[in-house]
Amino acid sequence: MLFLQLLLNGLQVGAIYALTAAGFALIFGATKIFHVAHGTAFTIAGYVFLFAWRAGWPGWAGAAAAVLAAMAFGVAMERYVYRPIQRHEGSFFTVFVAAFGVGIVVQNVIGMIAGRGFATVDTPLSFSAEILPDVFVAPMLWISLATAAVLFIALTVFLTRHPAGVGLRALSQNPDLVRTYGLSSNGLSVLAFAIGSALAAPAAIVTVMTTGLNEAIGHQVMLISIAATIVGGIGSLRGAALAGMMLGIAESLALQFVDTQWAEAVSFLVLFGFIIFRPSGIFGVVQTR
Amino acid sequence: MPGPKIGRRGALAAGLALPFIRPAIAQTAEPYVMGSLFPMSGPSAEFGEAFTRGAQVALQHIAADNLLRRPVRLQSEDSQALPQPSVVGMNKLISVDRAHWVLVSWTATSKAVAPIGDRAKTIMVNGGAVGPDLAGLSPYFWNVIALAHLEVQVMVPFLVRQRNARRVALIYVDDPLGDGILGQLRGTLPRHGGELVGSFSVPRAAQQFGPVVARVRQTRPDAVYVASFGAQNAQIVKALRDNGVTQTICSYSAFGIDSLRTMPEAEGALFTSQKLDLTGAHALTSRFATDFRARFGQPPLVYHANYYNAAYLFGLLAKQVETAGGTVNGDSLRAAMLATRKFDLVGGEGEFDEQGNMLTQMQVNEIRGQQFVAIG
Repeated sequence: MLFLQLLLNGLQVGAIYALTAAGFALIFGATKIFHVAHGTAFTIAGYVFLFAWRAGWPGWAGAAAAVLAAMAFGVAMERYVYRPIQRHEGSFFTVFVAAFGVGIVVQNVIGMIAGRGFATVDTPLSFSAEILPDVFVAPMLWISLATAAVLFIALTVFLTRHPAGVGLRALSQNPDLVRTYGLSSNGLSVLAFAIGSALAAPAAIVTVMTTGLNEAIGHQVMLISIAATIVGGIGSLRGAALAGMMLGIAESLALQFVDTQWAEAVSFLVLFGFIIFRPSGIFGVVQTR
Repeated sequence: MPGPKIGRRGALAAGLALPFIRPAIAQTAEPYVMGSLFPMSGPSAEFGEAFTRGAQVALQHIAADNLLRRPVRLQSEDSQALPQPSVVGMNKLISVDRAHWVLVSWTATSKAVAPIGDRAKTIMVNGGAVGPDLAGLSPYFWNVIALAHLEVQVMVPFLVRQRNARRVALIYVDDPLGDGILGQLRGTLPRHGGELVGSFSVPRAAQQFGPVVARVRQTRPDAVYVASFGAQNAQIVKALRDNGVTQTICSYSAFGIDSLRTMPEAEGALFTSQKLDLTGAHALTSRFATDFRARFGQPPLVYHANYYNAAYLFGLLAKQVETAGGTVNGDSLRAAMLATRKFDLVGGEGEFDEQGNMLTQMQVNEIRGQQFVAIG
């Protein structure tokens, strides 16, 4: 039964990782910008939902506000931080430092506004019931899985059927050709940031309901997102989502075999394994030189 | 007779010279620097804010009472609750700010900075960390908080006798504090007829505890002892309650913060702390409680009192040194402490042992209706 319990826990954690990793992978794949502040979008969305909840807003309104806040942050980063840097042909390192700096500033601003402590919403959705002997499941598990599944299906349809989605895929493969066809690479870039950041919001909402938030949570989110992006294959959305889910399950199931302190290390062992034996990731394209 | 004329050039020269004249005049009023090495950012920043508030009220009282001939300036460095930034901050406090008195916290960071303070003969006063090996770390490292071995020695008999909780599982952070409490529980539980049925170490940055709780449930504990800090304590409590653990949750003094007091999942949790009666007749305690409430709009907690004591003690000792005509530094402050030993501090009389550990009475608290209630 422990195995089943750990698997179910892993699925819930994996759904959160998959959503955040997919957002990061979408942005990185389309724009080639290493958006380290993606974890900050997650944090902002979480706190906006928290404030809305405390203000007595309905859950859907809080969720909508969280999504909008994450999108606004992502778009603002693209317009006011990354684009000026790229205009001056700033290096990868410049982009990284700028994003990291914004993350630190936002973290401190949130700390000043929301207080420097643990914050959570009290909801029965996170409270587990024993469905089998020694197996406890909270409604939030099913909500997380359903949310992740619906969003991935919607995203896949958008990227394959909608002209803007096709444009995003094209941007990731050949930005010059996109411009040749008269599409705005800047507009597509903004769209990538908007959608990618929005994907962090559901994960943040699940997190604030289940494990709670603090203003520094974004760093952990970024570590997992980067790991999932590499394991899934750089630029592959489905790869990042699958890898995020895989890392969550691996982290949880590892407790069946190893001591609890090694749970998170398992994620990074998986990462090392891929870097050594399959550097291109699950769905990455092998490039020969 | 015409007086001396000051031309524009002379006035300009005099103006330029002013910044150099001022420090010479102000030399005698140059403030004493009291350093603080608290986590002011990151997941443990709530503690840094609480610690600082306690020290601020102490400095307010030192100034209001004209206790010293020179003012005292609190110089804060952000430790992030991590050893490396703490070492950087400690070096700056000693070398740049010339602090002879530094307020420290966190077991791992205290152990990291202790050799630096020891070398520079700077007094380090801990009011928040409880790792058992902080006692005797250095002649210049003092504790105004009961360390974990004392907290565990109070909690274990209470659990066994008052709550009939003999099977205890431990979730502990993978650092010197967690290791220290693990060692104490291993030794103390069997002596009181209890048993440590499982111990589960978690990394400092861990965020997901559902799988850990699944392992904890397997041990069928009567009580779960949580030995972490910062936001992680609250996350573990929420994970325990959300994932079907209904047994008693207990911990050490780190549970005495607002985010846990107000958390519904923490209702019924037990924790040990120093004895602190804010409603009693003790004058300094009443003054502290009144002024703290007036300044911050909340009643003070144990951590506030600890760092009040840590900072106020400087005022008492520096006054002794000044009165004796000595220079205020680590050695003179330590000599004054050893000569006096007993001080009137918040909570009552505080007595220090040879190593600089304050001896104190302990109590068991319960989080009940979003209040800390002393129950034993």
